[in-house]
Amino acid sequence: MLRTTTGVLARLTINESKTSSSAFALEFVRWRRKPRWLPVAKSKLYRVPERKEQNAEERAELMRLHNNYKLQMRSLRQYLREEVLRLNVTTTADHIVLTPEQEEAEFARCMQENETWNQKIAVERNERLLKERERQAVEIRERLEAARVREEERMERIEEIVRREKELAKTFITHENLETAIEQALANPVDYNFSIDLQGNIYRGRTTLPGGKGTPATSGVQDTEVQQTIEASN
Amino acid sequence: MPSYELAMVLRQMSRPEIVSVLKRTAGTLLDRGCVIRKLENLGTRALPHKISEHGIVHREGTYFNISFDAAPTKISDFMEEFGRDIDIVRRRIFKIEEPEEFQCTLHEEMLPPAYRKDVQEMIDIAKRKQKRKFKYNSGLDYYPFQK
Repeated sequence: MLRTTTGVLARLTINESKTSSSAFALEFVRWRRKPRWLPVAKSKLYRVPERKEQNAEERAELMRLHNNYKLQMRSLRQYLREEVLRLNVTTTADHIVLTPEQEEAEFARCMQENETWNQKIAVERNERLLKERERQAVEIRERLEAARVREEERMERIEEIVRREKELAKTFITHENLETAIEQALANPVDYNFSIDLQGNIYRGRTTLPGGKGTPATSGVQDTEVQQTIEASN
Repeated sequence: MPSYELAMVLRQMSRPEIVSVLKRTAGTLLDRGCVIRKLENLGTRALPHKISEHGIVHREGTYFNISFDAAPTKISDFMEEFGRDIDIVRRRIFKIEEPEEFQCTLHEEMLPPAYRKDVQEMIDIAKRKQKRKFKYNSGLDYYPFQK
């Protein structure tokens, strides 16, 4: 914090030495008061504050007044407390006082009412539970049916695969027909190459040319196909 | 057992030698409990580039294709075994996948952009993303939102 002191000129004349040669007297006030952690100043270290003299009469008078006040207040408070307690015991203003017979009757009535409520709710609950049970049964039946259908479809798919594989198994190569299969393969080279023209005609074979030229290096079936496509293109 | 396809290139050999190599290869497969579905010859022709394999330079080869079913754990064994065979120049085992089903949508794709379904969807998305704007014919004489 920066604070310009008032009476600059006066201060200058008096405390010339303190403010050194500064033309503008500035006083730095960094703290409002001494921080808590600083010890007692050296100049105040052994200072004992003087005790103030008290008038004995005045002191006695003040004591008397104080005692009187305390006594009166205490008795007043005690009186009020006792009155409240007495009223609580005797009055019937805030609650109804019943005879034992009346209490019994009231209790019976409450019990009966509770009983009727319970019965009503039990009926509702039973209805609800019955409905839920039916719904669950329907759901379970549906799911069972769906599972059965799913299983059937799965078995059908599997059967289909098995049938197909059984059909294919006749063409599988085993130790017995390995030689014939090799002979067959060497005799009939397969060619998967093909070309296609803008009309969508497919020319199968690596060296097949449109118009039937070239050497079709394919099996018999593919040959006829090529011929057909060539005819179609022509 | 999944289906696999062994594609291999044999070195230039006489026919009896080729037969013996094929017998050896197929026999290996059969001995390890495989089911051979098909054996195809794709012809003899010049290799796309010269290949140095087992210390010999090859320029021509015979292509073969063997479809078989095998346990997946055996495949690396087969690769290793055929790699040691000096008559096999190249070999690779592929898994046979079910062909993907697709429908030809060329006639839709050939339409002008404004008529294509995907373009229309994109336009819709762009419209939805557009910030709402104050319409000046709303009957109000002031802009009702924060500017």
